[in-house]
Amino acid sequence: MTEALLDLQDIRKNYGAIEALKGVTFSIGMGEVVALLGDNGAGKSTLVKIISGGLEPTSGRILFEGKPFLARSPAEAKAAGIETVYQDLSLCTNVDVVANFFMGREITRKVLGIPVLDERAMEREVAKALADAGTRIPSLRANVEHLSGGQRQAIELNRFVHWGGKLVLLDEPFAALGVEQTRRGLDMIRQVAAQGIGVIIITHIMQQAFQVADRIVVIRQGVVAGDVPTSKTSPDAVIGMITGETLAGTGSAG
Amino acid sequence: MNPRTRRILELVLDNLVWFMLLFVLIIFSLFVPNYFQLGIFANIIEASSVLGVMSIGLALVIITGHMDLSVESVAALSAMTVGILFCSAGIGLGIVLSPEWLMVPVSLLAAIAVGGLVGTINGVLVVKLNMSAFIITLASYIWVRGLVLAVSGGRSAQDLAPAIRWFGIQRFLGLPLTAWIAITCFVVFSFILAKTPFGRHLVMIGGNQTATFRAGIRVNRNLILAFVMAGAIAGLAGWLLAIRTSGATANLGVGLLFNAFAAVVIGGVSLKGGVGSLPGVYAGVLLLSSINTAINLMGLPPTFTQVIHGLLVLAAVLLDTLKQAIRQKLA
Repeated sequence: MTEALLDLQDIRKNYGAIEALKGVTFSIGMGEVVALLGDNGAGKSTLVKIISGGLEPTSGRILFEGKPFLARSPAEAKAAGIETVYQDLSLCTNVDVVANFFMGREITRKVLGIPVLDERAMEREVAKALADAGTRIPSLRANVEHLSGGQRQAIELNRFVHWGGKLVLLDEPFAALGVEQTRRGLDMIRQVAAQGIGVIIITHIMQQAFQVADRIVVIRQGVVAGDVPTSKTSPDAVIGMITGETLAGTGSAG
Repeated sequence: MNPRTRRILELVLDNLVWFMLLFVLIIFSLFVPNYFQLGIFANIIEASSVLGVMSIGLALVIITGHMDLSVESVAALSAMTVGILFCSAGIGLGIVLSPEWLMVPVSLLAAIAVGGLVGTINGVLVVKLNMSAFIITLASYIWVRGLVLAVSGGRSAQDLAPAIRWFGIQRFLGLPLTAWIAITCFVVFSFILAKTPFGRHLVMIGGNQTATFRAGIRVNRNLILAFVMAGAIAGLAGWLLAIRTSGATANLGVGLLFNAFAAVVIGGVSLKGGVGSLPGVYAGVLLLSSINTAINLMGLPPTFTQVIHGLLVLAAVLLDTLKQAIRQKLA
């Protein structure tokens, strides 16, 4: 493994008396794809929110590029180079594709010192990004509310590929995609990783995890129940870790 | 459907309220005696300046998915502030600055500052304490009006300083300067909403607040700014109101809020947030104003105005539903 890009050390998160995370420790290197698996309620989404700046951990240490890191807001995480694609889509359906693609990072030009949206430049970039990814959307000026679920998810995925950054978190990114689009999405993830970007993907589908990930991390009841290279484990062994039938760390079985 | 009919249809849908305005004006010109005169049209624009300016602020806040019921009372408080400072009769203090023109920026700043202050209070309470804008601004609607009554003691201020009233009298291209101020406001804020990142962010916050937060947009700051702007714009409306009535009374502007709501809804702004444009709102204001004028000219009792405004709001909502249905087919 290369030098750790993100290093989580004993991350805990309590909601009142409930311990959602009871000390999670794992790390991810540059250009590595880690699949984060676990049953519903295991704490995956809580972990994602802590890394992406939606939640603050109760205790624990996060190192990003070797330096202590704590994102108090998604804006801070983004500024540091952490992109997130959420399970429930983060699109504003009342504006068009271009506006969504550039949400919060609009290209502007100064007119008399006032920042004015440069719609043409933005549209050009979006058209290029979508064409590169092989995504077809009838009109970039159509409001997103008129697009299908698959098209919406494609916009989200293309958005993170375009902005890149250093680390990408994907929370169930393919829930609304068809077979072909999912395959393309997985290819996208490999391409992104090949650029040296770390990718954490949360998924329920074992097959996807094995197709795309270098390493599989299983969270069970708020702790890491398994952390194994994909090549040294099998779907059955991983299922065992998720349900708790196998002891932690014995992922190479099966 | 070929692309051309589609484009035309979309153009009509996007500017439906303008077509309604045109339609109504043509009908009135044909059937209401003496309606078709430049003077009448100038009067329609003139009569809608206060309501128009107030509607801008209300529309901004509604587009972000919130609500500001306080704009009417804020305008009254600003008008009363200007009245007390610069009126020479009634409860007016009759302050005179020299040179006289200095009273214009000072009164304007005072009106806008009063409005902005109430707007800041609204915004901070709504955003930081995460309370319902409806309740917070309803409270402001009440306490600000109460403040107007308290500072005036229920009495009025008359005879506004001529240097300020000049804006209501001086005409440019047949319209008083107050009307030009309203038009300028519409142009400026339409530009801000449609062409700047700040405006774009307001629209997107109205569409999906969570998404904008995740995208790193400073949602809280933008929302507070929207409330501050709504307050400040209402303050400007109050300034225009004081000029128009050459002073201020304790019940100045009562009822304007509902007209502003009507104009905003007729103008195509969705109360759910995220949808609407300011040119549409201006058309809505002009539509209300032209109907009022027609009622006056026909010699109908003014009570009819309310009935017609109410029906118009209903019609606007129905039209909006129809528009949605057509758009669904277009997509």
